[in-house]
Amino acid sequence: MNKWKKKQPETIKLFKRPTLAGDGFGGRARFYLSRAVTNIRQNIFVNVVTIGTITLALLIVSLFLLVFVNLESAAENWSERVQVTVYFDKELAPQEQIAIREKIFALSGVSRVSYVSRAEALKRFKSRLRGQETLLEGVRPEVLPTSFEIALKRSHRDTVSVENFVTALKRIQGITEVQYGEEWVRRFNSFLNFMRLLGALLGGFLVIAVVFIVSNTIKLTIYSRRDELEVMSLVGATRFFIKAPFLLEGLLQGFAGSVLAIALLFCLYEGFLHNAGNFLAFNTVTSGLNFLPLEFIFGLLLAGAMLGFIGSLTSIKRFINV
Amino acid sequence: MIQLHNVSLTYQKDASALNNINLKIGKGEFVFLTGPSGAGKTSLLRLLYGAIIPNSGQVLIDGQNITRLSASQIPLLRRSIGVVFQDFKLLQNRTVFENVAISLEVLGWGRGDIGKKTMHMLKQMGIESKYNLSTQRLSGGEQQRVALARALVNDPKILLADEPTGNLDDANKNQILTIFKEANIRGTTVVVATHDRRLIEQGHKRIVMLNKGEIVEQVEKETAGDDQAF
Repeated sequence: MNKWKKKQPETIKLFKRPTLAGDGFGGRARFYLSRAVTNIRQNIFVNVVTIGTITLALLIVSLFLLVFVNLESAAENWSERVQVTVYFDKELAPQEQIAIREKIFALSGVSRVSYVSRAEALKRFKSRLRGQETLLEGVRPEVLPTSFEIALKRSHRDTVSVENFVTALKRIQGITEVQYGEEWVRRFNSFLNFMRLLGALLGGFLVIAVVFIVSNTIKLTIYSRRDELEVMSLVGATRFFIKAPFLLEGLLQGFAGSVLAIALLFCLYEGFLHNAGNFLAFNTVTSGLNFLPLEFIFGLLLAGAMLGFIGSLTSIKRFINV
Repeated sequence: MIQLHNVSLTYQKDASALNNINLKIGKGEFVFLTGPSGAGKTSLLRLLYGAIIPNSGQVLIDGQNITRLSASQIPLLRRSIGVVFQDFKLLQNRTVFENVAISLEVLGWGRGDIGKKTMHMLKQMGIESKYNLSTQRLSGGEQQRVALARALVNDPKILLADEPTGNLDDANKNQILTIFKEANIRGTTVVVATHDRRLIEQGHKRIVMLNKGEIVEQVEKETAGDDQAF
């Protein structure tokens, strides 16, 4: 067949389309768009069902994202507690403090270094034993150690980085005793990894389910209009001519669905969720859940539109074969 | 205009729908395809507008072998062929006007031209007053006239009809036949598949009889003055 086509392409002298008013790319694009909008209007029930399905599906996904994003940020807050402390059994002179501080800062991953003097240490001790201050009677500041408290940057709070940091720290002259709550760091990081894995798994299944549901809904709506596809094909419409309005329709449906989903999510958030997240934070001062960041909102809008478009694209293929 | 050479078609391995068909239909001819149900009338028409491809043989339309057309060339072929069916195949949720205009939209015509041409066609069919009604609200005869308007609005070279009067009463049958004849007078080659004896007798045209996928008889009934009878 291909061979034949190559040999005698000039014999194909089929009936070219007359170039008339409303032609050209702009005219065509406007035509397809108006066709898509008319289709939505004329098949309003089917479209409401499709948009509703997409809205609900994306609402579930965005709710999941909202919870996940907030868990992540809560985890970030908890990880502030990953802290390395260097103890000294004498009060450091100001020059010594500066020298050691500089050496510590020279290591990678340090975000903050603060010196805790003996007086400061006693003050903290007292505040911890509030109500039982009598226990501390006779305790002089000299018995307490002085220390440097080192906070690490976010990227350096995992188990391996912390251990590497401590090894490097111990190489600094004058530093002998370092504590960093190994067990806590290890447990916290494995919890974080578990949570991410669980999130990825749940999210993955959710996305698969959503794609499946939405593509089947679109398939049904196109199936209900297969006579239209047949008629278009009978009067000599090219595949693109038949497809374009359906694809645009899918795009519009998906976009409308995602806009509605985000609007609903925002209503839910304002109504119930925004002050329901205190349990996630250790200290009750912080506010509740945050709304989705802007890039997630754009991502959802794009995902909705693509979902509609690709759903239509894959569904329509089956029905254009008249 | 239409030539079939040794065309055979089988849908399933054992049952052959068309068997070694040889047929020539000249430009401007009016032909009735007739025969009992299952004789292969519909299959023959479907071959002519490229809906199916024969297992063997050649189908030439305007000198072109359409069995060799690629998928993207089939639409171009169909733009020069109008097709009507017993069940009309109209879009129920669109108006009469939109149903006819679709044939011109496909060709890329501008709105203004589509409007003029479509209304002109509807006027010829005598249904211009119903242009804004949904096709569901029309009678059977009116629906078939909409289907005919859709098939004829782009001045096709060939008009194919598959049992076009199967669902219609006698008055409507006559009207539809008249439209076929008028199109034929304007130069369109018309092929009508029907087993309606009355339609064939009134038509006074060439008749090709099919049975079990083979042409069993061909009758020429062309006589002068026939067209004036309608």
